[in-house]
Amino acid sequence: MTEEKRRLIDENGIRTDGRRWDELRPLKIEVGVVKNADGSALIEWGKNKIIAAVYGPKEMHPKHLELADRAFLKCRYHMAPFSVEERKNPAPSRREIEISKVIREALQPALFLEDYPRTAIQVYVEVLQSDGGSRVAGVTASALALADAGINMRDLVVGCAVGKVDGKVVLDLNDIEDKEGSGDMPFTFMPNLNQVTLLQMDGLFTLDEFKQAVELGKAGGMKVYQAQREALLKRYFDGAAPDSSAPAAEMMEA
Amino acid sequence: MVDIIRKQVIPGDVIVTGDYRPGSFVQRRGNDMVALRVGLAEVAQNGVKVIPLSGAYMPRAEDMVVGKVVNVTGYGWEADINSCFVGYLPGQFVFGRDFSPATHDLMTRFRVGDLLLAKIEAFDRTKDPQLSIRGPGLGKIPQGEIVRISPMKVPRLIGRKGYMINMIADLTACNVKVGQNGMIVVDGTPEGTEKAVAAINLVQEGAHMADLTARVQRLLGAPVTPEPAAEGDSGE
Amino acid sequence: MPKSFVVETIKRNQIVDALAKGKRLDGRGVNEYRKLEIKTHVIQKANGSAMVTLGDTQVLAGVKIDKGVPFPDTPDKGLLIVGAEVLPMAASYLEAGPPDESAIELARVVDRGVRESEMIDVSSLVIKEGKWVYSVFVDVNILNVDGNLFDATSYAVVAALLTAKMPRFVLDGDTVKDTGERLPLPVRKVPVSVTMATINGTLVLDPTEEEEAVMDARITLDTEDEGHICAGQKGEPGSFTPEQVLTAAEWSIAKGREIRQKIKEATAGG
Repeated sequence: MTEEKRRLIDENGIRTDGRRWDELRPLKIEVGVVKNADGSALIEWGKNKIIAAVYGPKEMHPKHLELADRAFLKCRYHMAPFSVEERKNPAPSRREIEISKVIREALQPALFLEDYPRTAIQVYVEVLQSDGGSRVAGVTASALALADAGINMRDLVVGCAVGKVDGKVVLDLNDIEDKEGSGDMPFTFMPNLNQVTLLQMDGLFTLDEFKQAVELGKAGGMKVYQAQREALLKRYFDGAAPDSSAPAAEMMEA
Repeated sequence: MVDIIRKQVIPGDVIVTGDYRPGSFVQRRGNDMVALRVGLAEVAQNGVKVIPLSGAYMPRAEDMVVGKVVNVTGYGWEADINSCFVGYLPGQFVFGRDFSPATHDLMTRFRVGDLLLAKIEAFDRTKDPQLSIRGPGLGKIPQGEIVRISPMKVPRLIGRKGYMINMIADLTACNVKVGQNGMIVVDGTPEGTEKAVAAINLVQEGAHMADLTARVQRLLGAPVTPEPAAEGDSGE
Repeated sequence: MPKSFVVETIKRNQIVDALAKGKRLDGRGVNEYRKLEIKTHVIQKANGSAMVTLGDTQVLAGVKIDKGVPFPDTPDKGLLIVGAEVLPMAASYLEAGPPDESAIELARVVDRGVRESEMIDVSSLVIKEGKWVYSVFVDVNILNVDGNLFDATSYAVVAALLTAKMPRFVLDGDTVKDTGERLPLPVRKVPVSVTMATINGTLVLDPTEEEEAVMDARITLDTEDEGHICAGQKGEPGSFTPEQVLTAAEWSIAKGREIRQKIKEATAGG
C-alpha cells in the first residue's frame, strides 16, 4: 500500500459502499443450481458469487480411507482464476487448502456423519467471484447444499464476518475493508444450537471489542439465517400452503 | 380420526415442544422435538416424524431396487443401485451352487449397462449390499423408459398398499417396475408410456401436495376419487 | 467402480433405434442443436465473461488481461492462453485433481480454434517488442456436464473475448503504466466450433452425455466468418468414413453460420 491510508468510514458513520456499521451487503441465495449434484446452492453476497455443491453420501475413494463408523467428509474450497483482481493460478494454493479445512470443520458439527458409515460426503465450494467474507459465504451456501442433498443435520450453519475498520467494530466487511481495515473475524455458528463452528481472526481487538464482534457477528448471522431459510423453503415448497387439512391417506408413509 | 398437524421444516427447526416420541428424522432436545431434514413434519398423538423431501437411497434388506450393471468381475456383477454402496450380485445366485468362474461365463447373462430388477438379499453396513434376482419378475429388464425420482418420494409413488402406482399402471396400461432406490422403468405403448412418465414426474414434483391423487387422476383423464383411507393411524 | 458415465443397455438401444428413423430421444433431428443460451458480463472482476448453457451443459468463461513478457520465439505477439477446468462438482463420477487428458484436450482444442482463426490480432497486443506485451488469459470452469463440452466451452470463450475490455497500457520509461482507458480487444473474426458424433453409422450434431456414451467417434471442426475451416479434432476410439468427414465439414460451415449469428447477437454492444 503506497497511497496514504484513506478513511473507510466518513464523519456520518457511512462506509465506502454506503452502509452503516451494522448493515449487511446485498444478499441473494438460490438452492438447487447444479443439475448433476445431489445438493447445491448459489450465494451472491456483496460481490461474492459462490456455488456450493454436495455429492453424497457416496462411495469412498480411495477405499482404504473409508471409516467404519462414519462418513468421510471432504471439502474443497477453490477460486476460479478470474474470481479475483489478478488472475489466480488454478492449482490449489496454501490459502485454499487451509480454508477448505476450516470450512469442513465448520460444517462437521452440524452433520450426523455417524449415520453414513463407510461413505464419503463431498462438499465443493467454487468461488466464481470473490469479495470480502468468501469463506463464511461458502459455509452458508454449503450448509444449504447439504440440506438440499438430504444429509441428516442437527442445524444449518450460517456465518458473517466482523471486522475492525477505522477503530470501529463493523459487520460484514467488503473487499476494501478486508484489505485495508485493521482486523477481520470470519465467524460461523449453528443458529438454533447456538454453537460457534468457525472462528478465525487477525488484527488487534481489545476484550471489549472482541465481545462486541462476537455479538455483532451473531446478530448479522441471524439475518443471513433468515435468507438461508427462505431460499431452502422456496426450493421445496415454493409458496405451497402447509397442508394440515390433508387427509392422512394422502400422505406418504416411510 | 386423530388430529395430525403438519409443518414444513428444515434441519434445526423445533417442530413441537412437549412429551412426544421422536420418530424418523426427529431428535429430542430437552422438551423440543427437532427436525433433521427438509420435509414435512407430522405431529400425531403418539409421536413426531419428518417425511424428508430429499436424500440418498440407503439400502435395506428385502427392498426391491433397479440396478445398472457397471462391472463384471470373475465372481459376480457390480450394480449401481443409486446409492453410496454398490450392489453385488454373486455368480452362484444366478448359476446355482455349482457356479465356478472357470466354467461359467458371466458375460453370457448380464453385461455392463444392463438393468436388473433385484432384491436386496442382505445388507448390514459392514459390507456392500448383496443382490438377488430369485423371485417372480426379478432379473434383467429387457426394455422400457427409464425414469428417475428422488428415493424419498418412492413411498408416495407407491402409495398406500400400492394404490398410486397401481392406478398409474392401470390407467396407462403400462408395466411399471419401481425400485425403492428411485429408479423406475415404464413399459407400454408409446402413448401409455408418455402418460405414465408424466404421472410419475407429477408425483416427484408434487409429493408434498395434499391433493396429489386427484391431480394424478386429472392428468390421466380419470374420474377423481379419493385414495382409500388407511385403517388405524398413519404411523410406520 | 464407474469413473465415467455408463449408459443403460436399454437406453443405448433406444438411441440407436431412434437414429435409424432419423430421430433422437430428446426430439431433435440429427443436425439440430440443443437450446443455447449465452449470458455475458456475469463476472464484474473479469475483463470479460460469459456463461453458456447448452442443454444441461453449463460453462463459465472469464478473461483476465494484464501486461506480460512475450515468448522468446514470438517477441512481436501478445499472449493468448485458453485454460479449462472440468470442476469436480460438474458430475457425480468426477474427483478433484489436476486436469486429466480429456480436460487438457478440451482446452487445447478450444485454444486452437481461437488461435488458428486469428480471432484476436495478437500482433497488435504489443507494448514494447520483445519486452512487454498484453497477456490475455481465458479460463473456463465447467459447472455441469451433459455432453459436448467442446462447443459450450468454445462459445463461452469466444463470447467472453468479444465482450472483454482491456486496459490501455503505455510505456513509461522502463515500466508499463495503465492509462485507465478501456478498449475492446482487437477482434478480427468470430470462430465457431461445431462438434458431431457418429453413432452406429449416423452422424449427429451436439451430442448429449448419453449419446457420447454410445458414440463411436467424435469430430470437432471450427470455422471462421468467411466459411473457412480453421481447426479440427477427431476424438474417441471409433472411426469415420471419408464421406462422413465431408458431411461434417458441410454441417460445420452451415451450423457455424447460425451459431455465429447467435454469438454476435448475445455479445452486441460489447
